[in-house]
Order: sequence, then C-alpha cells, then structure tokens
Amino acid sequence: MTMPDRIDVTWIMLIGLALATILLPPLVPRPLFGNTLLLAFAALKGHRIALDFMDLRAVPALWRGLVVSWILIVLLLAWLASAIVALI
Amino acid sequence: MSTAACEQQETGWGILQDLPGDPMIWVLIFSELVAFGLFLGAFSVTRAIHPAEFAAGQAMLDSHLAGLNTIVLVTSGWAAARATRAARNRQRSTTRYWLLGAMALGGLFISIKLAEYAEEIGRGVGLETSLFFTLYFLLTGFHLLHVGLGIIILAVVCGRAGISGVETATAFWHMVDLVWIVMFPILYLVK
Repeated sequence: MTMPDRIDVTWIMLIGLALATILLPPLVPRPLFGNTLLLAFAALKGHRIALDFMDLRAVPALWRGLVVSWILIVLLLAWLASAIVALI
Repeated sequence: MSTAACEQQETGWGILQDLPGDPMIWVLIFSELVAFGLFLGAFSVTRAIHPAEFAAGQAMLDSHLAGLNTIVLVTSGWAAARATRAARNRQRSTTRYWLLGAMALGGLFISIKLAEYAEEIGRGVGLETSLFFTLYFLLTGFHLLHVGLGIIILAVVCGRAGISGVETATAFWHMVDLVWIVMFPILYLVK
C-alpha cells in the first residue's frame, strides 16, 4: 500500500480547516472561545503551509522558527486584542 | 574542497543558501512578512481601542466570499507545491501544467476579491468610511497587489520551468498564501 503524498494530505487538511473556519462562528456563541478556536485553526494552517508548501521542513531550524514565530506573534496579538475587547 | 563546495561558498549568501530557490526571494519574503506583520498588529491594536467601530465595519463584510477565496488560494498553493515537485523531477510539461493551474486560481482569487470590493462599494463603503475600512482596504489591497505580482512571477518562470526558477516563484506564492491565511480570520471573523 502506498503512503499518501504529504503535499496532498496538507491540502486536504487546509481545505478542512478552511471549511471549519467558515462554519464555526455561528456555532460558538461565546466570542472569546470562538476567537481562540479560529486563531488556533489559522496557526495550524500557517504551520502546514510553512512546512510542506514553503518546504521549510528540511531547512535549518532558524528559518522554520522565524516563519512560525511570525505566524504565532501576529495571531497572539490578534487574540490579546480580542480578549481585551471581550473582557472589558 | 570540491568545485561545487567552492561555488557555493562564492555565492556569498551564507545560511540563506539552505532555503529553496534564489536567496534574494527570501530577503523579499522576510521583508514582506515584517511589513504585513506590522500592519496586522496595528489592525489588532486599533480594534482593541475602537471595538464598536470595528464590530460595525466587520458586520458589513462578506465572510463567506472571503472564505471561498481562502479555499481558492490554498488550492492554488497546493498546485504551486505540485509544480515544485514536478520541476525537481525534471518533468517540464507537468510543471507548466501545475503552474498554469496555480495562476488560474490566483486569477480567480483576484476576480472574487474585486467582486467583493464592488459589493462593498455598492453599499456605500469606501476608504474613508471609518478607521476599520481604511485599514481593511489598505491591508487587503496591499495583499491583492502581491497576488497580482505573484501571478506575474509564476508566469515568468513558467516558460523555462527550471528547478531554481520554479522554487523561487512558488516560495513567493506560498508567502502570499500564508499572509491571507493569517489575515482572513483577523479581518473577517475575530470578534
């Protein structure tokens, strides 16, 4: 049995997460929890794009770290801003 | 020292040499990520300062159309990744086929985004409507320009379909994809 191609698996995963992102907001009434899930989905999608599409899986950890850090910092800032709005 | 090792040392790109494609594209990619990161950071901070204005603005956006565009762009990224694989296997016609697919989907992304803009402008929304819409149009417009530039770069390398050229063009294309993936929930969905 042949193993599925990683690029194809990543694409299917990205489509699934994109659909979940579109369908999620009306299903989660609490904004802070919903925002956390939405941003976590975005982090997962970004991580897979960086590793499998940008081909950073095999390069030195510095480059992977820089791109993944960018994803996490931007999303964390968005989450903090939404948390402030939800808690005030 | 082997000739190949000497040549690699003489390129002068140091550790950037380990990245796929031309090292210069990675200088551009990291610069773009910093620019988009600052822009998105400014958007998040401004949202925390003006939550009511941002909520009202966000309610006027079509998140389903933007969600459709996410699916279009990640599929385009998949086609670009497939093109890179084919180029490394020296399958020129297959590489061109995947690159054309990536470009066509990039064109579809632009069409959907322009339709979305037309819908918003038709509802009387513009760059100066509110702080939310100023940032929204600047961010998505700046990203849309990168989609256009990415299609041009993919078209330039499509003819020869050589390994280095395809790796360089698709690296830029995936950066455009990555920025949209992060931008979409921040602009359209996060409350």
